[in-house]
Amino acid sequence: MSVGFQAVQWNRRKIIYDTILIAGVVLFVGTFMTGGALRNPPADYAAWIGLRIKALGTCAFTMLTIILVIGPLTRLSPRFLPLLYNRRHFGVLTFFVALAHAYSVVDWFGVQGAMSDLVTEMTNNPKFAQFIGFPIKALGLTGLSILFLLAATSHDFWLAFLTPRVWKALHMLLYVAYGVLVMHVALGVMQEDQRIHIPLLLGGSFALVTGLHLAAAWRERDAAHASRDNWIVVGAPESIRDKRARIVVAPDGERIAVFRDGDQIGALTNLCAHQNGPLGEGCIINGLVTCPWHGYEYRLADGCAPPPFTEKLATYQVRLRDGVIEVDPVALAPGTPASIRIA
Amino acid sequence: MTRGHRRVHRLLWPLLAVVVALGFTMALVKRPPPEQPADSAPKTRVDALTPEPTK
Repeated sequence: MSVGFQAVQWNRRKIIYDTILIAGVVLFVGTFMTGGALRNPPADYAAWIGLRIKALGTCAFTMLTIILVIGPLTRLSPRFLPLLYNRRHFGVLTFFVALAHAYSVVDWFGVQGAMSDLVTEMTNNPKFAQFIGFPIKALGLTGLSILFLLAATSHDFWLAFLTPRVWKALHMLLYVAYGVLVMHVALGVMQEDQRIHIPLLLGGSFALVTGLHLAAAWRERDAAHASRDNWIVVGAPESIRDKRARIVVAPDGERIAVFRDGDQIGALTNLCAHQNGPLGEGCIINGLVTCPWHGYEYRLADGCAPPPFTEKLATYQVRLRDGVIEVDPVALAPGTPASIRIA
Repeated sequence: MTRGHRRVHRLLWPLLAVVVALGFTMALVKRPPPEQPADSAPKTRVDALTPEPTK
């Protein structure tokens, strides 16, 4: 690790990002409610709450859709990486917007004096066996519970405590939450509101998430196939920015970061030994490959952290053939020297 | 994301996507039709000419 290690902290960029996020939510909900009130003025307080339920629910679902497209977008273009680094804040805010939506539902029943109906609907409902008419609030509560679990464990403390492997597996539940919430909308407001725009927007969002995942997977599959003698073609040395890396994908899906430091080329696993951070998105500082997440450092030559630290990364053999850098996708033992000079 | 996560991801999300796509399609198909305006709809010429059945 780095001598100057610091946990990820608030910085100006994160504050700007969060300010934009919160402003976006306020603007979305405000515009939705103003537009709704102008088009169909609410008759009473309960109708206002109904409008608020729709505004917050739409906002939370839109945010969840954006969160799920960030991953494939960054795999398609590195321009979206700043969104990826701040995705956890986006997720936590999404949970709070969803919580406000759920609170509004409870508020609506409270204002109507029908709280017992809500309890009955959740606990003693004969429609659990039906498809159309299935209690959508149970679906919403399931999605909200998953979002809570993910938001509560989003801090780096939990990443270290649960270990990166368990933490990542847990956070894959977001896909389950999205599926449950698509059905929450499809069996809820889409059945009540006959206008065409609801299925169009819901189906469009779902198709966008699915389509981008497919496109990213297809692109990586193509890149993995660009190989000679089972070695992966990376490109000309100049195609790798100095002190930066290009990430290539091995046929088994493993990501390999190919760095260039002047005339030295070396390939390391893309997973940092600390918390599985994306090493290839970092850069070389003071001659050491530095992870963008927490500043852990490794020598390009052999993937070892400088003394007194002991972390070691798997390295990969590289070669220059016909002016093109190629990588052997078979990982070497962590700490094995494998970089080359191309001068 | 480790190799194991990627494998789970590749198995999980297509499965989930198919299930949700089926659910969404079923919800769309079983969606109740838009409500017709009450009795104000003009009758067709055939309807107008056909006498109401006696009860």
